[in-house]
Amino acid sequence: MSPLLEVRNLSVAYGAIEAVRDISFTVEAGQIVSLIGSNGAGKTTTLRTISGLLRPASGEILFQGKPIHAEPAHAILGMGISHSPEGRRLFPRMTVEENLQLGAYVRKDDGVQADMDRVYELFPVLGERRHNKAGLFSGGEQQMLAIGRAMMSKPRLLMLDEPSMGLSPIMTQKIFDTIKELQSLGTTILLVEQNALAALALSDHGYVIDLGRTTLDGPGHSLLADQRVRDAYLGEVH
Amino acid sequence: MSTVAISEKRSALAPLGKPLAIAGGVLAVVAALLPWVTFSLNDGNWPDKSTLQFFDAPFLVTGFRWHMLLFGVFILVAALAPTPSRGRVLRALGWGTLAVSFINALYITIKGGGLGAITALDGEVAFGGVVGVVAGVLVILASYGIGIEPVADWKFKVSTPVAYLVLLVAFGGVLYAVAAMLTTGGVGASNPYAGAIFLSFLGFAGGVLAALSGVGLVRWISALSEEHRVFSVIVLAACALLLPFTDAGNEYWMTVAANIGIYAATAIGLNIVVGLAGLLDLGYVAFMGIGALVAANFSGAATAYFGFSLPFPVAAAIAAVVAGIFGAIVGSPTLRVRGDYLAIVTLAFGEIFTRSAQNDIGGFTNGSNAIPGIPALSLFGAEFNRSITIGPVKLPGGVLYYILIVLLVAATMAVFANLKFSRIGRAWIAIREDEDAARAMGIRTGKMKILAFLIGAMLAGLAGAVFAHKNGTVSYESFKFLESITLLAAVILGGMGSIPGAVLGASLLFVLPEKLRDFEEYRLMIFGLALILIMRFRPVGLIPDAHRRAEMAEKADENAEEAHVEARKA
Ligand SMILES: Nc1ncnc2c1ncn2[C@@H]1O[C@H](COP(=O)(O)OP(=O)(O)O)[C@@H](O)[C@H]1O
Ligand SMILES: [Mg+2]
Repeated sequence: MSPLLEVRNLSVAYGAIEAVRDISFTVEAGQIVSLIGSNGAGKTTTLRTISGLLRPASGEILFQGKPIHAEPAHAILGMGISHSPEGRRLFPRMTVEENLQLGAYVRKDDGVQADMDRVYELFPVLGERRHNKAGLFSGGEQQMLAIGRAMMSKPRLLMLDEPSMGLSPIMTQKIFDTIKELQSLGTTILLVEQNALAALALSDHGYVIDLGRTTLDGPGHSLLADQRVRDAYLGEVH
Repeated sequence: MSTVAISEKRSALAPLGKPLAIAGGVLAVVAALLPWVTFSLNDGNWPDKSTLQFFDAPFLVTGFRWHMLLFGVFILVAALAPTPSRGRVLRALGWGTLAVSFINALYITIKGGGLGAITALDGEVAFGGVVGVVAGVLVILASYGIGIEPVADWKFKVSTPVAYLVLLVAFGGVLYAVAAMLTTGGVGASNPYAGAIFLSFLGFAGGVLAALSGVGLVRWISALSEEHRVFSVIVLAACALLLPFTDAGNEYWMTVAANIGIYAATAIGLNIVVGLAGLLDLGYVAFMGIGALVAANFSGAATAYFGFSLPFPVAAAIAAVVAGIFGAIVGSPTLRVRGDYLAIVTLAFGEIFTRSAQNDIGGFTNGSNAIPGIPALSLFGAEFNRSITIGPVKLPGGVLYYILIVLLVAATMAVFANLKFSRIGRAWIAIREDEDAARAMGIRTGKMKILAFLIGAMLAGLAGAVFAHKNGTVSYESFKFLESITLLAAVILGGMGSIPGAVLGASLLFVLPEKLRDFEEYRLMIFGLALILIMRFRPVGLIPDAHRRAEMAEKADENAEEAHVEARKA
């Protein structure tokens, strides 16, 4: 049985700048897998390539055993990979509800309303203020909306790019609890974080990326215990 | 929330707000009744008995003194009755009073030789203008004293029949206002004071409209009309079709209104591209030109490319398709270029179109000789430019064109509204807001942007086909850069993404120059000034779309909201 997502020897370049060099990793169905690494390591570039927003220079991306790296973004989303981008990228002038509707843009079935209600159940604060503009919410609430919006396409694999960015420790914890909950509800999660401590504590498997390469990998708890990881990344966590 | 922001301004004037407003209202009434000019002007009495006379018969005449009287009464009502957003309403009425007084006083001063004309001369006194200006200033000050609260939000719901009734009355009012605006001051230069009378009327209409908007009525009615969209469109179309039966029902205004309609339909098409999808198009009128040329060449005119004529609906459909194809071609660079660069591509396309049309490239345009002699449309033998008689009613010439164009505008509105609230419309708006995020939602941004260009161009092509027959001549001169800019101004002025906004914008942009003929060489200057003022005081446009309105409100609310969020966290 092939893994849900397999990235093989992926390289991505912006013109002459090689942002990702020969990265490989796998995500098994049902897992939370995190990519950690410092700023500029190539994590965002990797996610954008998986979701079809960038094209790889070389390497392969397989989803459920099928190569997807030549597919357009909307097709990849349709296959079940959803991407909550770095910096959340909500539509700030649209309401919560309109944002969620756009999250379901590629869907043609009629379960959208039910899924929207599920998002409101998960994040009651969004339900209460569903007709308010997204731009007026606090950072943590906006992150909830970003996750909710990404869930609206009913993904098999949810990719989250730095969900804890700019959030208070309490709010970060809340978001990470939600991620755990989404996993228990059956969604596989690929998490990108600079906040290595929190991310690894939650992950079934982790990969450390440095200057565009995977340097280390292992189960979340063993990476947490690894002295090299502790020196390089955990020291940075405030 | 907003009390914080206002409290500073409030401090000095606050206790004086109400007394100032009452004083201003009384002065406005007094100003209306006082004489305004100390002697008869060269071109005859200033209209409506204002010269050397007290205003003793207010209900028998209209005109600016009647408007001043109404302003005075409205101000007193707003000051004394429990008015929502009182400061905002008073501010609008104050500016209206000031505008009407100032325009009239200024004009009298210029035409009557100096300030003596509006003060005292030869033992005669006429202080109407001065008192009016003072009244306006007092009321504006009063409004800041009272404080400018946010526009009141009317929450109450009404049953459907009541809503229908409200909408009927509202649209009836709009019809009345449009007819009044067209006819006020007479046609062209037939009245020596036409320009000033019209400007003064605009001051009145603007003040009243802003007051109604301030009190929350306009927002409430537009929410109602959005809720009952189909009914609104029908009533609006019916109102438009009633225009020939009003005072504006003569050949001249039928022609002007038909031309406005053609540009309004085109502006709605442009609004898809600019307002919904957020793509700046500086050469849009070229698509209208293409449509007009296609229709002209299939019209059987002597210099047409094809020696035969097609029935108008067929020719119009071909015009729309051809324009649409060009739209898609021009739109295709959107896949690669964004923002300013795209604007330059469209600008270049507009220029290419005019230059090739001027030089008759391909033999479709007849160069600078244009294609004249395009036959008028006819239906069952009735030519569209003739007057028609139905039983006892005689309708003016051009009325059939007018009706056709009203239907055209209604159809483009319907297309726009359906698109805006569809999945496609949501995709466009998402692209406008954040193109990368839109892609992450699975929106095929390239395809959607080209689609916007294609549909926009088709609507322009259709309007162009009607234009060809209505005007009888198609020349490249009608489709130059300035026309594109005027259309763009219509969209921005009316409110991007808003349908009534595009119609209003087109109306203003094409009526104003017509109405300001009296000012001859100053006409374009006044016109430009009016545009600057509107954009200064209403940057979202006259009738903004909800998202655009949100954008502006956001700026005001941001601080308050952040404080609120922080407070809740703590
Ligand atoms: N649009 C871009 N154009 C050129 N270089 C880029 C672009 N985006 C990112 N990079 C570069 O690619 C490298 C990886 O960036 P990124 O994937 O954003 O890293 P991370 O998400 O791990 O912080 C960095 O050196 C960054 O400067
Ligand atoms: Mg990043």
